[in-house]
Amino acid sequence: MSDFPVFFLHGLAYAGLLFLVSAGLTLVFGMMNVLNFAHAAMYMLGAYFSYTLLQATDQFWLSLMVCPILLFVVGALIERFLLRRVHAFGHVHELLLTFGLAYIITEVVKWVWGNFPLAVNIGGFLGDTVEIVGITYPVYRIFIFVCAVFVGTLMALILYKTRLGIILRAAVNDSEMVNALGFNVPLVFMGVFAFGAALSGFAGVIAGPLLSTYPGMAHEILIDAFVVIVVGGFGSLGGAVIASLIIGELQSFGVLLFPKLSLALVYLLMAAVLIVKPSGLFGEKQ
Amino acid sequence: MMTQKNAPYLLIAALFALGAVMPLVLKQYHLNMLTEIIVFALYAVSYNLLLGYAGLLSFGHAMFFGMGAFTVAVSLIHIPGLSMWSAIGLALAMTTAVGFVAGGLLLRHKGSYFALLTLAFNSLFYAVATKWHTVTGGDDGLSITRPDLALGFTTVSLAGIEGFYWFTLVIIGAAIVFCWYFTQTAMGQTVLMMRENEERMKFLGYNTNVSRLILFTFTGAVAGLAGAFYTLHFQFCSQSAISVDMTTTVLLMTFVGGTGTFWGPMLGVLVYVILQNYLSDVTDRWPLFMGLIFVFMVLFIPGGLTQIIQSARNLFAGKRGTGKPIEAKEASS
Repeated sequence: MSDFPVFFLHGLAYAGLLFLVSAGLTLVFGMMNVLNFAHAAMYMLGAYFSYTLLQATDQFWLSLMVCPILLFVVGALIERFLLRRVHAFGHVHELLLTFGLAYIITEVVKWVWGNFPLAVNIGGFLGDTVEIVGITYPVYRIFIFVCAVFVGTLMALILYKTRLGIILRAAVNDSEMVNALGFNVPLVFMGVFAFGAALSGFAGVIAGPLLSTYPGMAHEILIDAFVVIVVGGFGSLGGAVIASLIIGELQSFGVLLFPKLSLALVYLLMAAVLIVKPSGLFGEKQ
Repeated sequence: MMTQKNAPYLLIAALFALGAVMPLVLKQYHLNMLTEIIVFALYAVSYNLLLGYAGLLSFGHAMFFGMGAFTVAVSLIHIPGLSMWSAIGLALAMTTAVGFVAGGLLLRHKGSYFALLTLAFNSLFYAVATKWHTVTGGDDGLSITRPDLALGFTTVSLAGIEGFYWFTLVIIGAAIVFCWYFTQTAMGQTVLMMRENEERMKFLGYNTNVSRLILFTFTGAVAGLAGAFYTLHFQFCSQSAISVDMTTTVLLMTFVGGTGTFWGPMLGVLVYVILQNYLSDVTDRWPLFMGLIFVFMVLFIPGGLTQIIQSARNLFAGKRGTGKPIEAKEASS
């Protein structure tokens, strides 16, 4: 098995991307109890914004900074003007709303950018290859993994080591009390949702050069991200890390070892987790 | 008082009568469209039993629709001389079994979890349908010819659209009436009350998990029947029948029509299919318009078209000075 290290690294790169997508999803779900179906659509929007920006300026680093900010604004607007309105009607309406938004975003993307794949190429240092453990490997895939580690660490630090993190976690437990203590809880929730959107946009920019940019990319990653949060446990950041790694490697080695079964492997894993431990590996009991 | 009680029966009779004269009035193109509307009406009615009656938001209803569609296509191709009834029977048996097993796994979860898992299950079925090329035809799909219909004393050819329209009207119409009857039974009422207050139903001694599983399996079988007729109507079945888009379609239809009443989703199907046929001539962007209408309704008119009709009716009645109809109805019962 000389291919083993290559496939392992492929798995790590995909796991990194998967974590970037599912971290935002699980954060919004854990904090606000909203399962955001539009999350993957916003990820796609990030990828397309980045494509346009790269066409215009050819600056990957600029795109990596600007697109998340754009998505942050989009997320804040969605939360403030749409999601907050239906909150009183309950979960079904929140789901229906985010679902409808995902549908609209996909249609808009098809309209503006066309219903075909767009290739994104990056030059410079990131487009190169590097020699590690005796194999030549693209720098970009390693970069993705590093990004995921960076974002994961940053999120954990904010949530568990800062004052903002304490307010966030308290708002989840008892939002009325936190509100009464003088913190603007609606603003906090808007911030969380917008941050989740920015994270999805970040992931979208990163996904562009790895996978190609096309209108079906949202749906494809959405299912994998859903499997990650089911397996890892709803709302658990640590669970998302472990589950992303498992599913990234499973996808990668699945193609190598069982090419015919590779698509079903992820679902089989999910079904197994559901039967054995319905709350997920790190989920709290409902 | 009597008219109140008889109203649904009168409505059913009127709809059947209306359906029966349609082949005399409509051209072939429109008769095709009407057949499609009837098939999707059953699909939407089954979906609304989950969403409107049980409050379960499923993103995986197409797995039953597609399973019914594929069962008919595959069995008609691989079993020579299979009768129409057996093909439909197979589809029903298959979707009932799938509904029971999937429901057992999925119904352990509620709300968002349930929605997410149904979507994942639907994707699994879609992946299998796409990859299992030898059976499902993969991207090429499966073409079939409609078998003749044996009625015991005579055999009717269903090759033309008129014959098939009659067959669809009778069978699907009967299935829709049966669904309506189901909501009136003790079982159907249990589901309604479970949505309102599950704790209390448990205290009253109802096994709510079993009731939900029965409902889920039932709606699965009904959607499977709709799927079977979908294949028979188009004489073709591809993996799009089992895709998440097919779930999206039924969700849009049901919600736009209105989840609050039994008949609302059928209205939604009528509007959706007609809009689809005419808007797609005018613009390629018609799904975008459907999406915008959907989000607008989620935000401002959660009761769908039915709510608009009811408000209009109330407004009209109010102007004539007959008092508030909703209160009057409750006082009389």
